[in-house]
Amino acid sequence: MNFSKIFNTSLIYATFRSATPIIYAALCAAITQQADILNIGTEGIMLTGAFAAVTVSYLTGSWILGVLTAMAAGFLMSMIMAVGHIRYKAEICAIGMGINMFAIAITKFLLNSVLGKSGTFSEPEIQAIPRVSLPFLTKVKFLNELFNNWCITEWFVIVLIIAIWFIFYKTVWGLRLRAVGQFPAAAQTAGINVNAMKYQAIAISGLIGGLAGAHLSLGYSKMFTENMTNARGFMGVAAMYFGSGHPILTAVGCLVFGFSDSIGARLQAYGVPSQLVLLMPYVVVIVTLAISMASKLAREKKRKSSLA
Amino acid sequence: MKKKVISVLLALVMVFSLAACGTKDNSTNEDAATETTTDESTDTAETTEDTTATESQVRVCVVYSGNLGDKSYNDSCNEGAQQAVADFGIELKSLEGTTAEEWEANFLAAAEEGYDLIICSSSNFEEYMKEHCANYPDVKFAIIDTTVEGDNIVSISFAQNQGSFLAGAAAAMFTTKTDIEGVNDEKIIGWVGGMDIPVLHDFYVGYEQGAKYIDPDITVLQAFAGTWNDPLKGKELTLAQYEQGADIVMNVASGTGNGILEGAKEAGKYAIGVDLNQDNDQPGSVLTSMVKRVDRACYLVIESVVEGTFAGGSTSYLTVADGGVSLTDFSVIKEALGDKFPQDIVDTVTELEQKIVSGEIKVENYEGFGPQ
Repeated sequence: MNFSKIFNTSLIYATFRSATPIIYAALCAAITQQADILNIGTEGIMLTGAFAAVTVSYLTGSWILGVLTAMAAGFLMSMIMAVGHIRYKAEICAIGMGINMFAIAITKFLLNSVLGKSGTFSEPEIQAIPRVSLPFLTKVKFLNELFNNWCITEWFVIVLIIAIWFIFYKTVWGLRLRAVGQFPAAAQTAGINVNAMKYQAIAISGLIGGLAGAHLSLGYSKMFTENMTNARGFMGVAAMYFGSGHPILTAVGCLVFGFSDSIGARLQAYGVPSQLVLLMPYVVVIVTLAISMASKLAREKKRKSSLA
Repeated sequence: MKKKVISVLLALVMVFSLAACGTKDNSTNEDAATETTTDESTDTAETTEDTTATESQVRVCVVYSGNLGDKSYNDSCNEGAQQAVADFGIELKSLEGTTAEEWEANFLAAAEEGYDLIICSSSNFEEYMKEHCANYPDVKFAIIDTTVEGDNIVSISFAQNQGSFLAGAAAAMFTTKTDIEGVNDEKIIGWVGGMDIPVLHDFYVGYEQGAKYIDPDITVLQAFAGTWNDPLKGKELTLAQYEQGADIVMNVASGTGNGILEGAKEAGKYAIGVDLNQDNDQPGSVLTSMVKRVDRACYLVIESVVEGTFAGGSTSYLTVADGGVSLTDFSVIKEALGDKFPQDIVDTVTELEQKIVSGEIKVENYEGFGPQ
């Protein structure tokens, strides 16, 4: 086994590349989590976004319109969830799962009826999200390999993580959002419109979920495939749990998943059994969740004992 | 509490409506067979049924372990079935599914529905057939890509090891052509498969042997995506192999393979297609495709039922010699590379093909495969 071939600079970008869709998904789930809403529908919102992005990019030849439509589609899906959950008090997990199944079915149906294809849609006319090439980096081989030719949405995710962190912890809106999540009755007493906050949280979550889908189908690849999210939305929700809704910790959780994925891809090449390697991301999910739950319990215990 | 019960019920309803969406009806109502071909390359050892089949419309169901539209294995199978619809006017139903639960449910639904012939498109159905086929003695079953014993089962498999041998040899020669853009000086080639099932190992054994036949020092990187329909996973695995020094990767992954070909295009490297002719999917990035005539297998078995020559319990094995597996003619890459196209690859592949047919080269099989 050749370790220099496994642990090289390209592994760093590979980790980030495979983590990016999960980071978007996790941020989508994190916003609603702060308002105490578990967004299981992330997967479905993403899938709809991915489909909308490819379709519009193919029909109009503009990736920007594709991305915007994807966000609009994500918004629509999230509004179904919001109205069901807030207005009609539906159980959020049930409606989230409903969104996921609906997304698989509607994208399959539209793929057949609008684009006239089944299974996969990949045409040269689809305009992908452009990559950023930084000519001054080419002089340094290491930096060039690391940072050049990133997709715009890959750079943007870093901005988004910081922006969301700022909104959560440094703005009034973020404070209100967290208040709604932690103690809605108190927030209500303080004059915050709890339902309006929840609607806003789900709406923003839908926009980010749609963007996640657009990155998947126009950034990470240039095609749409039925159910192309393949549980990346759920991995995002798991990462969000790992970071307890904190955007930066959540992103770290995603990078752990991305790393286990990329390292697995490299290890397989040297005859490590595929079953073992393909299991790794899931083992990592369980281990990280177990650790974060255990530490949460320990904190809780400590808090209670100090009260007594 | 009541709300929860209702929401669970609603979720269940959605599950069932989704299952209904997953099926696709391809039935056509053309006139009964007007045309018969004289091709008799299936085993016609005994005629188990009399020819009542041709009088009424023959009903055929194909169950897939994946989705149509993979531009590969499943689409190839569907092409054969559609050809049979056009030629014999059969009624055709295609059932797609992406999970093992769906495969078994689709398979059982088809068996219960009483089709004349049920074609299981891949070896993923092997276990269900072993378990259930005996319970439906009046239904004829066929399986492609593996062998299942049973009086009402016809098995058709391919010498994918032979086709892959040629692909491996071509890849091993290609990786030394450093004057072509994107080819590095390391003697490393890659191979990315879908699910880790025996038939894919039969591909791999041939690929590796072919590569080592050309150059014993070559390194072959192997990876499985674990799924037939996650192109993003396929792309990631392919890019990882390129980053480890490979410059050409063979795709054996149905829908996952679309990502492999896209990865080749994006990285400025090369890939080898599989099952159908995929040379034009990412023109200029696909060296050749190992074509596996799944369409032919599907067509022949339907034909045997239409003509009443279906021979339960028989197995056939399509090899390089019968044209069951082959490489494409390299014409697309030739055009893309122009003067730099290495003609010696084509010549050597043709030579190796003859050696396999004549038996001079014996291509190894994975355990449990090969002529029965």
